[in-house]
Amino acid sequence: MRVWKALLAVMLLGVAGTAYGADKEMKVGFVYVSPIGDAGYSYSHDVGRQAVEAMPGVTTSYVEAVPEGPDSERVILNMARKGFDVIFATSFGYMDPMLKVAKQFPDTTFMHCSGFKMADNMGNYFGRMYQPRYLSGMLAGAMTKGNVLGYVAAFPIPEVIRGINAFTLGARSVNPDAIVRVVWTKTWYDPATEKEAAKSLLDVGADVIAQHQDSPGPQEAAQEKGVYSVGYNSNMAAFAPKAHLTAPVWNWGPYYTKVVEEVRNGTWKPEAAWPGMAEGVVDLAPFGPMVPQDLQDKVNAEKAAIIAGTQKIFVGPIKDQKGEVKIAEGVVATDAELLGMTWFVEGVVGTTE
Amino acid sequence: MRVIKRQEPLGVGGSCLVLFTALALSLLLSSFLLYLGGTSPIQGMKVLFQGAFGSRWALEDSVLKAIPIFLCALGVAVAFRLKIWNIGAEGQFALGAIGATWIALSFPDWPKIVLIPAMICLAMVAGGLWGLIPAILRQKLRTNEIIVTLMMNYIAILILDYLVYGVWKDPTSFGFPMTPTFSEQAIVGKIGGTAINWGLTHCLILGILFWIFFRFTRTGFEIKASGDNVRAARYAGLPYDRLVMLVMVLSGALAGWAGFLEASATVNRLQPSIMVGYGYTAIVVAWLARLHPLSIGIASILLAGLRVGVESLQLDLQVPAAFGGILEGLILLTVLAGGLFTHYRLVFGRK
Amino acid sequence: MTAEIIIALLAATVQSGTPILYATLGEIFTEKSGVLNLGVEGAMILGALTGFIVARTTGSPALGFFAAGLVGSLATAIHGVVCLWFQGNQVVSGLALTILGVGLANYLGSGYVGMSAPGFNPLTIPGLADLPAIGPIFFQHDLLVYLSYLIPPLMWLFFARTRFGLGMRAAGEYPAAATAAGLNVVAYRWLGILVGGFFMGLGGAYLSLAYTHLWTTNLTAGRGWIAVALVIFAFWRPGRAVFGAYLFGGIMAMQLRLQASGTQVPSSILLMLPYVLTVFVLVLSSWRKGTSDQPAALGINIEPAD
Repeated sequence: MRVWKALLAVMLLGVAGTAYGADKEMKVGFVYVSPIGDAGYSYSHDVGRQAVEAMPGVTTSYVEAVPEGPDSERVILNMARKGFDVIFATSFGYMDPMLKVAKQFPDTTFMHCSGFKMADNMGNYFGRMYQPRYLSGMLAGAMTKGNVLGYVAAFPIPEVIRGINAFTLGARSVNPDAIVRVVWTKTWYDPATEKEAAKSLLDVGADVIAQHQDSPGPQEAAQEKGVYSVGYNSNMAAFAPKAHLTAPVWNWGPYYTKVVEEVRNGTWKPEAAWPGMAEGVVDLAPFGPMVPQDLQDKVNAEKAAIIAGTQKIFVGPIKDQKGEVKIAEGVVATDAELLGMTWFVEGVVGTTE
Repeated sequence: MRVIKRQEPLGVGGSCLVLFTALALSLLLSSFLLYLGGTSPIQGMKVLFQGAFGSRWALEDSVLKAIPIFLCALGVAVAFRLKIWNIGAEGQFALGAIGATWIALSFPDWPKIVLIPAMICLAMVAGGLWGLIPAILRQKLRTNEIIVTLMMNYIAILILDYLVYGVWKDPTSFGFPMTPTFSEQAIVGKIGGTAINWGLTHCLILGILFWIFFRFTRTGFEIKASGDNVRAARYAGLPYDRLVMLVMVLSGALAGWAGFLEASATVNRLQPSIMVGYGYTAIVVAWLARLHPLSIGIASILLAGLRVGVESLQLDLQVPAAFGGILEGLILLTVLAGGLFTHYRLVFGRK
Repeated sequence: MTAEIIIALLAATVQSGTPILYATLGEIFTEKSGVLNLGVEGAMILGALTGFIVARTTGSPALGFFAAGLVGSLATAIHGVVCLWFQGNQVVSGLALTILGVGLANYLGSGYVGMSAPGFNPLTIPGLADLPAIGPIFFQHDLLVYLSYLIPPLMWLFFARTRFGLGMRAAGEYPAAATAAGLNVVAYRWLGILVGGFFMGLGGAYLSLAYTHLWTTNLTAGRGWIAVALVIFAFWRPGRAVFGAYLFGGIMAMQLRLQASGTQVPSSILLMLPYVLTVFVLVLSSWRKGTSDQPAALGINIEPAD
């Protein structure tokens, strides 16, 4: 009799176990600050969303071009009210609105990109884009002949400044004479202006053009002039096959599916996540055919070091444009310092305003 | 088919019928577009309306969004009484927000009863100034106000950028372009548990003042008269130049008030994303509503509701955000076309 | 600032000003007939999208360019219907056209972002391109720029010397007298609207087929509004429109180059320059001349005859 009871208990437990572990239907929402038609930042988040959509038992939805502030609060609130399980908000300015909504919906999981506030049901995340930027800088610094690198940048916010700095550090690690000239376009996607900005850099002697912009405008400019370029967000080689060296790219799919899976399993915890190349969230696009093999090997070796964690990039001594030491010798910059970076490293020519 | 002028303009009943037909036509056309894009038109319209007005929250959101549109539209209407097109509401809105922010950041500890009026004052002064400049250029230097106001819109937004990227940047916001959050005393609060802030009462008061001004004051009458016929007004000795400047200052001040409310009550700080095109929507509203404050109020809620409803369309049916612009444009065009029937009627057959 | 950089800047000025020039000339053509069309931005962006799609689908940028003009005309035809047939207020109708056009272009174009299309590439004119300074500034651009050199003088000729041109001007200045003299004012206004719209579409297509070979949302980025402003700046004269378009395009190009040279002036301030300077030059010009060049009947609809 005891054996039968034990067997029954085991069977019941087994059934309960499988029922508990069965896939729950999940609704995941995404809030974008620009149209996914910007071919850049929001577009790469959306590619990540599509990976989540492909998960069994998960449906996703998104709202694009949501201005920061009260509009975003309303959108996030609506998603929460409609019973979304996880909501991803992909712009810094969504932080406070998301926090307000998170307090009202304790059962929903909120994920904020590029911010720093958290709650029991809200975490934040970003990608260490500066890692592939460093690598792309190495390529640019090695391939330049005139030692002038041009950078077409959108807005002087920390992530852009940090990217420029990493690029410069990478370039000067292989070519200490290289300088980086910066032009601000004050727009995320205006191909004509971005191309013109690239041309203005070409006119002052730049022979590699990099960008923190969403359109391939600068790539076209570089190709037309017959010089090299570094893309962004996605592989832009199709637009500039002779010029495109590589591009730092986003790859949100694996991270997003991981988070959704964790929420589904109940193992999700709020944290300030900042995954990088090691986790596959950011990467370097394949090298263009013009990159010599020894350079490819060198960059790949550095990439391995970054993934292994031995190359932290922002390690002192690092001076700013005026020559003051901002990061002392041997000191590794903290994540907070990196997230709030508003100064340029030595070798960058341009303002941060 | 011929067009014949009416003996008398179409009455209220007829005008309403024309308006509804126009709106229905625009909805029909946009439904067709939805259908082409693969969305069920009926579902689309349902989601749109529910998203805009179908629940308590939706209504609150629409009213909330209508507040800055209403005030800007009121300003545009004031200018238009004098037949001046104030395309610069967007820039005056920005300047108003900047003015209010300056006070809020400089004197955060003042008691609310002093701080809020001070913010409103400087917002009105800044917005009014931004309206005065094109007026002076128009009257004294014969410069066309359409270009000047348009250019000044761009300049105003860049001034805002300059301030939030530079001297007003919040040291605790990780270098992102935004001012520190306003102190408690600088924030206009929400009404009860709703999403709507007390700016609604500001709208009511200002709307009534607008009506009184144009109905009962002498200056209001002068403005209406001058608008109808500039030469006759000058001949009659009305101070046209001064009226132009007064009207543009008032127009700018009202848009500035809207900017103050947006910065204080809705966003609680100054940041570039405060600019979402209310100044341009206001022109649409002011014209649709034929310059009556009550109609302006209704039209504001309608167009605000449209913006809110389109978000639901995105969320539920994955319709691209640009759809809102299509609908807004279509509504305007159909209502415009419908305006023909106020003064004319169609006659079929031969004479 | 070496001579080389200045020449490069002037060459960039020509390129940067060309889309605005096309649109401005189109609007001048429309306004001369007495119709105010604020829908330039809408027509431009629809033209940009059309040019891109047609060039991509057919492989011919020229076909795309032409199709863009046609779509521009189609777009402004809406304005014509609302204003000329339905007596709609011209200012509001133009505004509505812009709102609709931008929304429509972004809506329909969302599938085309991130793609490229075959476009126009720089075509150096042998001989002329080798002239010192003038060569690189004016003769090392693409075909569409060269086309834009021809339009202002042709337009001037049209208005000053041809019967149709004079008829259009009459439609814009004294419509009542023109009608009495037997001219079909409404037909002339339609001509103004459609041909104007054609050029606006071309201006937009320049952005997606020559300036860049791309499409993204809001490609025109407000250039249509600049064109509206420049028409007034140009006192409705094609020649001065060239000056205006290049001035504006030039300042835009210059502020970027100032940044590239390493200036410490904040970029927000630099970005203001084109707008501030446009107003400044306009004020100076208007002060002397006033608004006497404006077509007298601009913006006023013709009542339908009984």
